[in-house]
Amino acid sequence: MNPLSVVARTVCNLFAWFLAVFGIYVIVHGHLTPGGGFQGGAVVATFMAFLLVAHGGRKMQSWVRKELFTLMECVGLTIFISAGLLGMSNTFFFNFLAKAGGLFGSTVPLGPNPGALNTSGTIALMNLSVGLEVVGGLSMILLYMFSGVHPEEPFGREETGHDR
Amino acid sequence: MIEVLHLSILVTIVVSGFLTIWFRNLLSSVISLAVLSLFISLEFFYMQAPDVAIAEAGIGAGLSTAIYIIALRACGRKQFRKEGER
Amino acid sequence: MKARILFLVSILVVGGLLWSGLQAVHPFGEPNSAPMDEYFIANAQSEAAANNVVTSIVFDYRGFDTLGEGAVLFTAVISVAALFRKRGQH
Repeated sequence: MNPLSVVARTVCNLFAWFLAVFGIYVIVHGHLTPGGGFQGGAVVATFMAFLLVAHGGRKMQSWVRKELFTLMECVGLTIFISAGLLGMSNTFFFNFLAKAGGLFGSTVPLGPNPGALNTSGTIALMNLSVGLEVVGGLSMILLYMFSGVHPEEPFGREETGHDR
Repeated sequence: MIEVLHLSILVTIVVSGFLTIWFRNLLSSVISLAVLSLFISLEFFYMQAPDVAIAEAGIGAGLSTAIYIIALRACGRKQFRKEGER
Repeated sequence: MKARILFLVSILVVGGLLWSGLQAVHPFGEPNSAPMDEYFIANAQSEAAANNVVTSIVFDYRGFDTLGEGAVLFTAVISVAALFRKRGQH
């Protein structure tokens, strides 16, 4: 796919970063506000789709590599499963970090309250790892589909207006 | 007032779902599907399920539209009618 | 003609089932309450130490479900990569 026009690229360069910041906010605040790893990861993957549609495939391939997303997905799943296995002395997926002090270990007052970021034990850790996994997986689906459907299209032409 | 808003969201869902299968141009059909996903996520938000609303807006309106457009670039944009088909 | 009759019959059957199921639905905004819901709402903040009860259910009480979701996504990525990779690329 060739890059879109200058107008579309400029709007994308301006507004795609708000999308990325919102997605990372949803991932990190998963245990305080609505959302979580899966939803925030989907929003960040939408940011990748934005860049891919606006800037074309060749530029995207010079910016990121598929191996990076493979690494992100595998690291995310490994952290998730090992955080489940580490609580195995009680049950599988036991929340062993909650209310234990240290990282993510503060207690929460009962009732409606704004909350603090270092609460909720393994839930915050699992949010981060699932977010990493979903960003890697969905971006890899996009990049593989994109490079698979146009194997021999010449990328180096000029811009092509709006999808004509 | 809020009932009118809710009713207009539901009517927009039905109309865009109908337009999705009505359009012959597949790009228009995909964009109508994105509008359907956006209004379904508004409906989820009205039903007090913001988690599902964020997931629907991110995946339904953003990612699947991009994936459909990439697939359309590979296989052409027109849906042809067969002989004798209505 | 036979296809149209089949279409009408299936619409009548599905619509009848849907209509008979909708007779017993709860009014809007008053969902069916179960003992499990009240337990989660009362105890999730003190047990899992998370303010968001939905996230504490998804990642703590029902964490095995989320593991299955991650496995499904991983399988989807592997199948897309196997379908669309170029020759000689790995």
